[in-house]
Amino acid sequence: MKTIIVFIITILMLTSMAYAAESMIWGNMLIGNILSYGTKDSLNMGPLFTILQSQYFRNIFLVIVIGVPAVFLMHYLVLGARFFSHDGKKVYVFSLFNRLIHLLAAISFLVLIPTGLMMIFGVYFGGGPLVMTARHLHGLATALFFLAVIPMFFFWVADMLPTVDDIKWIAIFGGYLSRKQSEVPAGKFNAGQKMWFWIATLGGIVMIATGAAMYFQDFNLGIASAFGLSQIDLLRASAIVHNIMALLITALFITHVYMSLFAVKGAINSMITGYKEEQELKYLHSSFYRKLKAQNKI
Amino acid sequence: MSSETSRMKFMCDSSRCIQCFACSVACAEAHDLPVGISRRKVVTLHEGVEGKEVSVSIACMHCSDPPCAKVCPVDCFYIREDGIVLHDKKKCIGCGYCLYACPFGAPQFPRDGAFGMRGVMDKCTMCAGGPEKTNSAEERRFYGQNRIAEGKVPICAAVCATNALLVGDAEDVSAIYRKRTSSRGKGE
Ligand code: HEM
Ligand code: SF4
Repeated sequence: MKTIIVFIITILMLTSMAYAAESMIWGNMLIGNILSYGTKDSLNMGPLFTILQSQYFRNIFLVIVIGVPAVFLMHYLVLGARFFSHDGKKVYVFSLFNRLIHLLAAISFLVLIPTGLMMIFGVYFGGGPLVMTARHLHGLATALFFLAVIPMFFFWVADMLPTVDDIKWIAIFGGYLSRKQSEVPAGKFNAGQKMWFWIATLGGIVMIATGAAMYFQDFNLGIASAFGLSQIDLLRASAIVHNIMALLITALFITHVYMSLFAVKGAINSMITGYKEEQELKYLHSSFYRKLKAQNKI
Repeated sequence: MSSETSRMKFMCDSSRCIQCFACSVACAEAHDLPVGISRRKVVTLHEGVEGKEVSVSIACMHCSDPPCAKVCPVDCFYIREDGIVLHDKKKCIGCGYCLYACPFGAPQFPRDGAFGMRGVMDKCTMCAGGPEKTNSAEERRFYGQNRIAEGKVPICAAVCATNALLVGDAEDVSAIYRKRTSSRGKGE
């Protein structure tokens, strides 16, 4: 408890120090920023951000939030869900700690993504206090996500390293393109889950960093200068990276939800109870299943 | 020289600016700006270097094709017929995007929310208020004075003792500046 309090006080002191310093945006560097805006030897970040934000981001997000669910709806209607017997044996795969941290991450994503989209499509919500509140919730959920992402990274990272199975899994699209029930090459996690893990954790940390930069806006922790950027260019870069990464996260989050709720019936249960159906493991995580068998754990 | 298509512009003649901060102080005072916000700033380069020191007063330049308006996710900007770029604080969500797009660092954000969270954007209105009813109490509270509606010059230019800060129709302003530079050193 004491360490936590010391930690919080240190952070507060650091931020107030960063704020107390002279403005990094509206001070004397203002002239340099004005003169270099869009010039040949500048990074051209201002005009780049303007073009991306005014002409591309919103449209690409529209394609993702409509396109990705549409593709899965087609998949569901044409190929249908997978069913595995729920009468067979069950195998304990996720500890209570795993499940709680996953729940925390799930809640934060369920806030982060809709509120992020509300800002992007803010004009259709009429802007104002509603969208402003969404923005504040987005910031609050970041704190929750921060608590979840670090333990999640460490307890799963070993199982998420790439293996030969992953290449085979990708080659057959995880078997999701056929109706046939065959053993799919995968360890405890398949290549798709691994992809989501890396985007959600490392990508999530990038989201926290770029989001924090935009949140604090005028600070001086030597970060911008370490990248050789002006503070305003650091903010522009953060906004660009945050939006591009958000596209990936949104697309993969929808995929993750489809897979666990719809594509594989009952898959969500393992994250609630900790137990996975033996049949599900046998077919969808065949290498892991064989390993457990060999170790006499089933 | 004003015409139907006139556009209002600021121009700061840096050869005249004496760094007295009158424009910046008058602006903050006239519009009751919150602490930490200054719509107009006086910036000095090469301070103390003889022959090189130069100061200039900067605020929103009321661009002709304003990038701030293009990036706003809630479309809160609007451009008056005379070219003054204004925004609607009831729509603004304080996201900060206009600041990233702006070449002049004009948009600013008071930290007036709970836990010091960023509030809605504030910037120079060229003393033309906002979308609320002209000269209403609400307009004044959100945006400050509407001097343009009263037929007055923006306060910053009005108080500039050296007439460094010019404001008005773009053609008039550049005509004055041209006259100044061409007559320089001719003992006028
Ligand atoms: C791990 C995921 C994410 C984290 C940790 C995160 C964090 C943040 C933070 C801290 C801010 C600054 C908030 C503020 O300035 O008040 C922000 C801004 C923003 N985020 Fe995210 N975000 C995440 C995902 C997303 C996603 C998925 C989207 C879009 C679907 C999104 C869209 C936005 C937008 C549009 C802004 C800009 C507005 C602003 O700066 O306030 N974010 N994010
Ligand atoms: S806020 Fe910046 S981009 Fe917008 S009109 Fe003013 S100077 Fe131009």
